[in-house]
Amino acid sequence: MRLIKQSIERKTGTGSATLLPEEPEDMWHAYNLIRPTDLLRASAIRKVISESGSGSRSNERVHMTLTIRVTKLDFDPQAAQLHVSGRVAEENKYVKLGSFHTLDLELQRNFTLEKAEGWDSVALDTLRESINQDAKAQLWAVIMQEGLANICLITDHQTILRQRIEVSLPKKRAGSSDHDKSLARFFQTTLDSLLRQLDLANPKPLLLASPGFTASSFHHFLKTHVASTPNKQLAQLLPKITLAHAASGHLHSLAQVLASPAVTSKLSATKFARETLLMDTFFTLMRKDDARAWYGPREVELASARGAVGKGGGVLLISNALFRSQNIATRKRWVGLVDEVKGQGGEVRVFSSLHESGRRLEGLGGVAAILTFAIEGLDEGLEGEEDGLEEVWDDVDDGGLGVEGKGGVEEDIDFL
Amino acid sequence: MQRVKNVGYDEDELYDEEDDVYEEDGDPGYTAEDRANFSALTPVVRAELEEAGVQASDQDIGAALWHYFWDVGKSVSYLKNSRTPRPQQQGVKKEDKPKAKSKFDEAAQKSAETAAHADMPPMSAADWFRDVPWTQIPPEMEGSIVPATPVIPRPKLLGGSSKLARLAEERRKKAVAAANVASPPVTNGASSSLDRLSRPKDTKENEAPVPKVEPKRYPIRKKREPTPPPKEPTPPPPEPEEEEKPDLRASPTSFGRTLAASLPHSRYTPSMTLKDMLGSGVTEDPFKGPSPDDTKLTNGCSITGNTGKTKQPAANGLAKKTEALKLGDSAPSAPSPPKVRSKGLDVPNLWAGGKSKRKASAAFVVIGHVDHGKSTLMGRLLLDTGAVSQRDVDRYQKQATELGKSSFALAWVMDTGTEERERGVTVDIAQHHFSTDSVNFTILDAPGHRDFVPNMIGGASMADLAVLVVDANQLESGMKGQTREHVLLAKAVGLKRVLVAVNKLDATAPYSWSQDVFQKVKNDVLKFLGEAGFAANDITVVPCSGLSGENVAKAPKPNEPAAWVARTDLTLLKALEQAVPSGGNGDAVKRPLRMQVADVFRGGITNPLSVSGRMTAGNAQPGDPVLVQPSGETATVRGVEVSGEPRDYAVAGDICTLHLTDIDPIHICTGDVVCDPSQKVPVVESFTAEIEALDSLLPQSVDVHLGRLHTAGSITRLVATVDDKGVTLKKKPRMVKAGQRAIVKVAVEDGVPVEGGEMVVLRAQGETVGFGIVERTGG
Repeated sequence: MRLIKQSIERKTGTGSATLLPEEPEDMWHAYNLIRPTDLLRASAIRKVISESGSGSRSNERVHMTLTIRVTKLDFDPQAAQLHVSGRVAEENKYVKLGSFHTLDLELQRNFTLEKAEGWDSVALDTLRESINQDAKAQLWAVIMQEGLANICLITDHQTILRQRIEVSLPKKRAGSSDHDKSLARFFQTTLDSLLRQLDLANPKPLLLASPGFTASSFHHFLKTHVASTPNKQLAQLLPKITLAHAASGHLHSLAQVLASPAVTSKLSATKFARETLLMDTFFTLMRKDDARAWYGPREVELASARGAVGKGGGVLLISNALFRSQNIATRKRWVGLVDEVKGQGGEVRVFSSLHESGRRLEGLGGVAAILTFAIEGLDEGLEGEEDGLEEVWDDVDDGGLGVEGKGGVEEDIDFL
Repeated sequence: MQRVKNVGYDEDELYDEEDDVYEEDGDPGYTAEDRANFSALTPVVRAELEEAGVQASDQDIGAALWHYFWDVGKSVSYLKNSRTPRPQQQGVKKEDKPKAKSKFDEAAQKSAETAAHADMPPMSAADWFRDVPWTQIPPEMEGSIVPATPVIPRPKLLGGSSKLARLAEERRKKAVAAANVASPPVTNGASSSLDRLSRPKDTKENEAPVPKVEPKRYPIRKKREPTPPPKEPTPPPPEPEEEEKPDLRASPTSFGRTLAASLPHSRYTPSMTLKDMLGSGVTEDPFKGPSPDDTKLTNGCSITGNTGKTKQPAANGLAKKTEALKLGDSAPSAPSPPKVRSKGLDVPNLWAGGKSKRKASAAFVVIGHVDHGKSTLMGRLLLDTGAVSQRDVDRYQKQATELGKSSFALAWVMDTGTEERERGVTVDIAQHHFSTDSVNFTILDAPGHRDFVPNMIGGASMADLAVLVVDANQLESGMKGQTREHVLLAKAVGLKRVLVAVNKLDATAPYSWSQDVFQKVKNDVLKFLGEAGFAANDITVVPCSGLSGENVAKAPKPNEPAAWVARTDLTLLKALEQAVPSGGNGDAVKRPLRMQVADVFRGGITNPLSVSGRMTAGNAQPGDPVLVQPSGETATVRGVEVSGEPRDYAVAGDICTLHLTDIDPIHICTGDVVCDPSQKVPVVESFTAEIEALDSLLPQSVDVHLGRLHTAGSITRLVATVDDKGVTLKKKPRMVKAGQRAIVKVAVEDGVPVEGGEMVVLRAQGETVGFGIVERTGG
């Protein structure tokens, strides 16, 4: 994303920024930047019905620039489309104040964002990150097992499941080649889907991972295909392929794959590799029942309040889904926590909820911390109270991404 | 005119020199006799003409006389006609016909033709002679030349010269001819095909008279007279050219006609084509139905075959189709898809009744670390019990040696997959049957490799007991690896009895069949199994060697190094027979049907869709309606197989194959549950389970295994840790440590069919992290 114009006042955080999304990934940034109650100004097409004096009506599609006060965001990660709904905040000759409109943000079209409650530190960080023009790592991965293949695109900020192939394979049985035939068909289907997704002119690294030797069989199949096809571009893909071992063909095995040496050696610099590593560190500490690792909103807040997430190894792991809450108070609470940790000199890592590591964090309630010193029994005082997880999640707008453990549609409950 | 005539006859001289003497004479000029004739006859003609009110010059009259050879009457009428409307001309011409055959005429025509051809592009000899009167002229071609016939089709007119009319006529004639052929039942095939051959000729004969006259119409006068176009008798216009093809080719054989279905000729006669294709088999073909008796006989046969088929449930679709085709005429409607009729057996009672007579049956899963020789041991067991022939093993031996893996030959009995053989690793559960005198066994050979533990869980969940294979020389590697995990999983899926086969004793160090090594391994394994929670009297340990075959099915001979085994231990086979649990309980058979699908496959041509698995509850017989969860689709059981043999029914505890019908294969996957439609298994997205943690558990993503079902899920909440008696120790623990028992809530990605009481295994990152029992579903 490119920053076209910025007028944000440092002290109060008021002001606006004009941004130009250039690639699909930028929609994800926009999704994390735009909050309900913000003012968003972008070009729009609106159907205008005009009624003449004689009573005849005419429909017209009018291009205009609209300013809306955001009420709802809808992000489609597969298509990388962002739809922002809201009420029109500036009247023009076609549209009345207060009427509803849904803006579809488009690539290569400016939009201007003004924060209602000012740009907080998290929003500024997100903005900074989104306009970072450094070379972006992208990686295709096929996580498979016999009869199941997940084709996904891993970018700096997202893991997008592009295609899932599920085939019922007959098991081996003596005197029947059905299994081999179906397996070949399964590979063919997977390859066809993969080639539809890939941009062969500019091939990105491709990771094949599976338990057993499904991935290497598929690799072999791919090589045979390349040898027999006249498509020269396909041959360029071969050196970009990495084989790795995965525990299963399900998408959550990707976390393990990305942490494996074969992959980290190639991708160590990327954000998602760092995130995965950090999550692994945290889980290792948890396994050892180390009292320096804590998860859950209240536990982490408590630890932060005691100054445990500070200088010298304190890390706050927080999912960006928490900042997308519909509830301003909730958002402020998390921004407050981030500021607090930063104030203590601790490290803050905002995890993308669309990455496997982010998913794992969400399983823990979206927030976890590695403390500088051990605190035993942080959770003791909290026992018997309402469970923290569901409160956190019930007001988070996860954009329909199906966050596991999201608790129903309960009313907002005040924390603490 | 004179000049033309000269040219014509000059050329004709070659042919007609001697015959047409007086022609020759007349050629240079008129002879004296001619002149006399002229002067004598011209006034007569003129007088006649003047009577009729027709004017004519001397020259014309002379010409006419010349042509009609001084026949006054003809000349007069010719001249009259040439100056009055056409129709009467016809009469004149017809009178001419007899003359047309004279050589003179032919010569004249020839000359006319050559004159016409002179300015045409070069032609083949065939074209040249195409319409010469003495060659056979295709009737279609000739017909089209007639310009005077009206364009309006008159189908009723016999041999009408319009194309449409002719077509219609042809069709009608053929229909009649076909009807004639078909109707008398006595018609024998040979004559009928003769008829068919001759039929095109009939139509030709019909049309022949009119066209054949044509070329003879203007024998000589063509050059003389101004009206008729000189090129008329020359090769035909494009349309006739097209049309003549069919006739040229069509005449030869009926075989040729059948072959060339695209011939225009056959296109014009659809009724004929239909008859050829459909009817020939029944009535016209000389070999198929030579006599009415035979036709009746065959019809009768197929009808009885048909009625027999409706009773027969295992009819295949192809046969049905062909039969429907055959019966096209005789059977009024195609047979309806075979409805599987239930025998309505009271399976629980039948089963209980036949209990004493039946051989016991048991399924055992073979578990252990990779390369400890599970598959080889099972191959040996099958070979020694006669379930696999020595010949097959010899063949495997040969093939394996070619691949440089001769020691894998026995394992190939179980490892049938291409990949398994290439890599020498079992990937999936192999299922095999064998019988002893007292028991029918089903072997479920599990893969030992850690990556295929999901398959092992599926296999273990179908078994009654476990056979743990341990390599006597590599116990340690197994204990760290899958020996340990498999034992725990066997426990997790609810197996009580374990039979330990200490394998590879023929290769122990320092000498083979070391009793000390066996004792040490035995003690270690017993200790470990005790820790894992198996009761001591549920464990049997036997020494054996799968590769060399000692103590598997046969006890070693006294003079072998393994002789001590015979004194102290049972053979593996004997131990298996002893370990067979007493038959299943009757209650399970009466419960609603539950069977988890372990495999979906094509059971053969007659059974396009079959599922196999272990029936955990209830019973099934052909004709039973069943429901497949989670798809919720219904199906009908078409056949039941147990141990590879068709049965009338299958009951809980059987590892059986159900042939299904009335369902699309897309609705069934491995791990689905086939159940009773009235009491179906609920499909849930989350459940609560009491589990035993093998690793520390956090709210995290896990692979959820429910028997054969393997799906992605996550632990969403740690509800509480509990002690052995189920008393809550701590609510909402921050984590569950390894070895603790806890109640956790598990969510699965897609809905899974699961009921309370099922065994569940949770795995993460390739390791089993917990196992337990589903307590409550949903919510």
